[in-house]
Amino acid sequence: MQKEAEIRDPLIIGNKTYHDITVDVARPVEGKANKQWWILFALSFSMFLWLVLAIAYTIGVGIGSWGLNKTVGWAWDITNFVWWIGIGHAGTLISAVLLLFRQKWRMSINRSAEAMTIFGVAQAALFPLIHMGRPWLMYYVFPIPNQFGSLWVNFNSPLLWDVFAISTYFSVSVVFWYIGLIPDFAMIRDRMSSKIAPMKKKLYTLMSFGWSGRAKHWQRFEEVSLVLAGLATPLVFSVHSIVSMDFATSVIPGWHTTIFPPYFVLGALFSGFAMVETLLIIMRKVLHLEAYITIKHIEYMNVIILLTGSLVGCAYITELFMAWYSGVEFEQYAFLNRATGPYWWAYASMMSCNVLIPQLYWINSIRTSFIATFILSIFVNIGMWFERFVIIVTSLHRDYLPSSWTMFSPSFIDIAIFLGTIGFFFTLFLLYSRTFPVIAQAELKTILKTSGSEYKKKLNKNNE
Amino acid sequence: MIENKKYWKGIAQLNDDPVVKKLEENEFVDKLPIDKLFEENDLSTGNTSRRDFLKFLGFTTAAASLAACEAPINKVIPYVNKPEEIVPGVANYYASTIYDGHDFASVLVKTREGRPIKIESNNTCANARVQSSVLSLYDSSRLRSPMISKVESNWDSVDKDIIKKLDEIKENGGKIAILTSTIISPTIYNLIDNFKNKYGNVVHVQKDSVSSDGILDANLDYFGIRKIPTYNFEKAEIIVSFGADFLGNFPGNTDYAKQYVEGRNPKNKKMSKHYQVESNLTLTGSNADHRIQIKPSEQAGLLSQLYRYITKKSTTIDSRISTIGKSLLESNSSIVLCNSNNKEVQLIVNAINDYLKNYDRTISIRNHTNLQQGNDQDLQNLIYEMQAGQIDALITYNINPSYILPDSDNFNKAMSNVGLTISTSKYMDETSINMDYICPDSHNLESWGDFVPYNGVCTLMQPTINPLFNTRQFQDSLLKWSQNSISYNDYLKDTYKNDWENKLHDGYFDVELEKVPLKQVKNKDLLIKNFPIKKNSNNIEFCVSEKISLGDGSQANNPWLQELPDPLSRATWDNYLTISEITAKELGLRNWNVSNGALNGDIVDLTLGDVTINNVPVMIQPGQAIGTVSMAIGYGRTNAGKCGNGVGLNVYPLINGGEVVIEKVEGVHEFAATQLHHTMMGRNIVKETTLDEYIKNPASGNDHDKFLTHEGKKRANEVSLWNKHDHETGHHWNLSIDLTACIGCASCVISCHAENNVPVVGKEEIRKSRDMHWLRIDRYFSSDMTKEVAKDQNASAIDMYSKMEDPSVNPEVVFQPVMCMHCNNAPCETVCPVAATTHSAEGLNHMTYNRCVGTRYCLNNCPYKVRRFNWFQYSDNDAFDFNMNDDYGKMVLNPDVVVRSRGVMEKCTMCLHKIQELKLTAKREGRKIKDEEAQTVCASACETNALVFGDVNDKNHTVHKLRKDERSYDLLDHLNVAPSVFYQTKIRNKS
Repeated sequence: MQKEAEIRDPLIIGNKTYHDITVDVARPVEGKANKQWWILFALSFSMFLWLVLAIAYTIGVGIGSWGLNKTVGWAWDITNFVWWIGIGHAGTLISAVLLLFRQKWRMSINRSAEAMTIFGVAQAALFPLIHMGRPWLMYYVFPIPNQFGSLWVNFNSPLLWDVFAISTYFSVSVVFWYIGLIPDFAMIRDRMSSKIAPMKKKLYTLMSFGWSGRAKHWQRFEEVSLVLAGLATPLVFSVHSIVSMDFATSVIPGWHTTIFPPYFVLGALFSGFAMVETLLIIMRKVLHLEAYITIKHIEYMNVIILLTGSLVGCAYITELFMAWYSGVEFEQYAFLNRATGPYWWAYASMMSCNVLIPQLYWINSIRTSFIATFILSIFVNIGMWFERFVIIVTSLHRDYLPSSWTMFSPSFIDIAIFLGTIGFFFTLFLLYSRTFPVIAQAELKTILKTSGSEYKKKLNKNNE
Repeated sequence: MIENKKYWKGIAQLNDDPVVKKLEENEFVDKLPIDKLFEENDLSTGNTSRRDFLKFLGFTTAAASLAACEAPINKVIPYVNKPEEIVPGVANYYASTIYDGHDFASVLVKTREGRPIKIESNNTCANARVQSSVLSLYDSSRLRSPMISKVESNWDSVDKDIIKKLDEIKENGGKIAILTSTIISPTIYNLIDNFKNKYGNVVHVQKDSVSSDGILDANLDYFGIRKIPTYNFEKAEIIVSFGADFLGNFPGNTDYAKQYVEGRNPKNKKMSKHYQVESNLTLTGSNADHRIQIKPSEQAGLLSQLYRYITKKSTTIDSRISTIGKSLLESNSSIVLCNSNNKEVQLIVNAINDYLKNYDRTISIRNHTNLQQGNDQDLQNLIYEMQAGQIDALITYNINPSYILPDSDNFNKAMSNVGLTISTSKYMDETSINMDYICPDSHNLESWGDFVPYNGVCTLMQPTINPLFNTRQFQDSLLKWSQNSISYNDYLKDTYKNDWENKLHDGYFDVELEKVPLKQVKNKDLLIKNFPIKKNSNNIEFCVSEKISLGDGSQANNPWLQELPDPLSRATWDNYLTISEITAKELGLRNWNVSNGALNGDIVDLTLGDVTINNVPVMIQPGQAIGTVSMAIGYGRTNAGKCGNGVGLNVYPLINGGEVVIEKVEGVHEFAATQLHHTMMGRNIVKETTLDEYIKNPASGNDHDKFLTHEGKKRANEVSLWNKHDHETGHHWNLSIDLTACIGCASCVISCHAENNVPVVGKEEIRKSRDMHWLRIDRYFSSDMTKEVAKDQNASAIDMYSKMEDPSVNPEVVFQPVMCMHCNNAPCETVCPVAATTHSAEGLNHMTYNRCVGTRYCLNNCPYKVRRFNWFQYSDNDAFDFNMNDDYGKMVLNPDVVVRSRGVMEKCTMCLHKIQELKLTAKREGRKIKDEEAQTVCASACETNALVFGDVNDKNHTVHKLRKDERSYDLLDHLNVAPSVFYQTKIRNKS
């Protein structure tokens, strides 16, 4: 049997048995929703409806209902797109990369982190569609055989790369997530009574793909997970690299930067972990999962945030240095304008939320506090949104010819769509938390005997 | 089917239980209500099966959805008898003339299938207003029939009424007045004479919206002829203009821009030197080599001093104009001109020119212009007579006195004393609304006419379309009222019967020079008054200005003109009080940008004498002299039509200028400007040099960015990563833009609008920086802060760039037309995911509207920001109620250019449709395209030849030579986007 060093903090708190884990994980699915859930759901759902109306208005009237203009052709739309895509990254990192590195602490958070990925990518995928002037011709961007003569997509365009990157990412994430869910669905299926809830039973039976828990099933499950983890790992790096190329391959000062791919990936992980924290800290309270999502988990993530935040800070400084070092006046002005121009407040928000505030995690008491982490994670989320806003809007609004310089101000619809996607995201996440096993219980059970607090104590006593 | 079915109430009934039968014999049997159910419509016997029903359902659904899918039907009606000259799809051009009392141009009218769609110049400059008049033709706000007391009527009854009343007036010995703008048509003079013969006591008064009495009366005194001379700016070495905007708005300036630029060709190693002494920044002033700011009240004194200095009567001269005095004396030829409407001042100008022997060299009073001959005194007398009730009938033509007169209330009151008032206005304008009869004149493009704009030249006007509405041209009305049965068309033909066809074909011809007996004034000095230079007072002085776009305001209902950015302020849909930054600070007035970049300004009350104009927006204008303010006429129309009503404020009441009181009031004005940033920020965008430097080194000022490589410093195009297109074979279209020749007049912009169906988006959208102009003229002011200054002052980069944003108080101005550069390494082409924008073998960047999904990536990646996105549906949309939402307005659309729909990107095509048409013509005729045959409309509209378009592969073509010229450069050449549009450095003649 595997043993774990004593000095490692337990990952499951309390005297839990295998059955306790089953019960705890199945509780939200089997039980009734509490008041907090309903309040959150009502709020999110109304925001989602707002999104639907705002999108309908945009498509009905035109992109003119947003605040864009002849100089700033993208603003909140692509900001939101990159933000949501970035948020997704932590999920894949937790489930794939940490799996390959055999990090056990991922087990109680990977399910939700991955759900966040999928829901985040779904929000992100909305924007390339609705930001189009003629979204009903969206299929033009897919290389599908057509009868328009020799028309074909432009493989030189980073937007096309985006299409492939996002669709690949989304499908691999969904498959990976689902494979992990199969034993857990089977667990719920087995606990369901076909007399009390026949439909539910049928549904979970269907979803668990005939899982029987045989050794062969477990063996294949492990193999597939490993293979998919291997497949998903490069995606963590490729997707946001490709998204960054939307900007990096352009000629606009402030966009045309070779540092963008690693910079964007780091930023994505940074914001993704912040969002995981935001979600999990709420979820462990609402769904009573305090035993499984411990401060140790949070601390691990805080360390990653501290690391990636500092690296992102390095990237910001590098950009400034390169602008100065390049000797190109357009480049120099672009960065000077970011910091001191009319959007200095956005740059200042970005710098303080992303670089300065995460430095607080050097302090142990902040790093190991749920409340402080929750607040800081919100700051990081805001900061990362501003990072994309700064990159997109402040680069565009003053580019080469001063005659075209102008500014951007969001319209009501812009705001509605952004808040609406947050509503949509939470709607999906809240529905998920009531229908899906939010912790990968089958996996978690494998570490109960080694990382459970009571078991560790027992083990220690035996050793003595 | 149905009747075979058996319905039962219970098993007993089914089994034919006797109990049931027994029960059925009861009195009240409870039967199943089947019969009732089926008896209606006879359903029980119907033979529609369930399958039939589904078939019907399927068919109707399919039919309904098919019917719903059908595209709307637009009927195309073929000619029953095709007119000989019309070939569908082929344009016809007719020579004609545009003259509205203010602007004159001999033009070529392009018609398609009988519709005039574009106005091009024919041997004279056609300015923005003249070109826009084609849209005014299709203005649905025009009157559609004659009116009696504002009720629609018909010509017969109107004529009957009018003739009857005129006869009565004649019998009673009454007096008839005809009030017009300046008439330059010999036949109209003849017709008025005939009218006079018929009715006896007839007076004809002419009045221009902007009066030129000063110069006219001065010439009357000085030469004995009340005419404005013509100038030849090409021959002048020194040009000194005291406020005269001869490149923008000046009587008879149809060719001045062309001459001016020809006299400033650096290739000749000689350029005229242009001094402009003025208070408000005019288009002319912005082109000057030296610009001196003065207050309007100082003008007379300075001119007087200049005169005394030149004639050596005195040696004192104001330091501001001392170089002018010296260079005038040293020069061989010069022109001095002035915008003053004061006879005494203009006499000084005449004396200076006379002393410098400019008459008959650079200024010709013999070849005078007939434009602008109005006489304010005549009008004043007329108003007195009207007030006294001595006028019995008033006929107006081409004039809107209730709008253009400073004291229009007075005129309106006087008019109420006139028994019979007849307007021939095309609109129910400010004057016509108070008149008894309106006999709407036809538009220029629907009329016949003859004009003598200059002594010795006659031009003809011919209709290019039948009158759209029930209108009749003024000349026909005059003939009718003179009870002459001949039509004006025949009358005109009779007048010019020799070689009529050719004259009409050419549109202009020479006529015998009217011999002008010039009066020889013996002691001219006696005419000259001496003006002292006024002590600098702290009072703020006001003078009016006139915009390139709206001019005198007669075309205020033209949305193209309303949306044409002012060349200097770049504002649209507005007039405003321009003020120097320093004066604004003193008065506590501000301009600022709001969160979407749009410009806001403070509001003031402006009082001049006893006239107060409330809520005047203030715009800080670099170049406006300190202590002066200025505002454009032509705005504030109340009866212009839906586009022109209520746009801006009417400053005709202040036309004579003077000292004003400015009082800040509560409120904010929202401007709609297409350019919000005014300096080049130290960037090498407009490259410029001086003439001296140019002569030493023709490539001076034309520095190219070079980059360090392992093989030494190289230009961007020498280290390209791009796969080169083959542009050696076939055509390679290029456009050269000479920044020395571009005066910023914006004719090319309007020309582009007309040709390419560029939509009008309205003030709100312009404010959101969403103008749709394919061609814009960037205007940059110089700043006091430059990189050199920053180095000297050791200023930080932040400090330098923030100061660079502020233009100088007296800035140098540059104009730079920017359209799609048609890059050969186009950043837009690589980023479009659907390949909607692609490169042509002829070096053009194509835009496929059908394919565009509207990601706007191309717009973002365009370093020149020339791409325009259709944010909304701009045609057939009530939210954009301009010409494209109007059945008449839509007739101006060019059928060769598609009207773009919502959600697609658009941009300059380099008039691809014209190139294609030309190629097809050449192919059909089995020949090559000739030199200069291919033209974009911007290039053909450019009177100063600043824009030259052509095939750069053609070694003999001018554009090929221009490409090789030392002055030529690519905008942002360090990006190596290899644009097909290139610029020629700006050269100033300054020391």
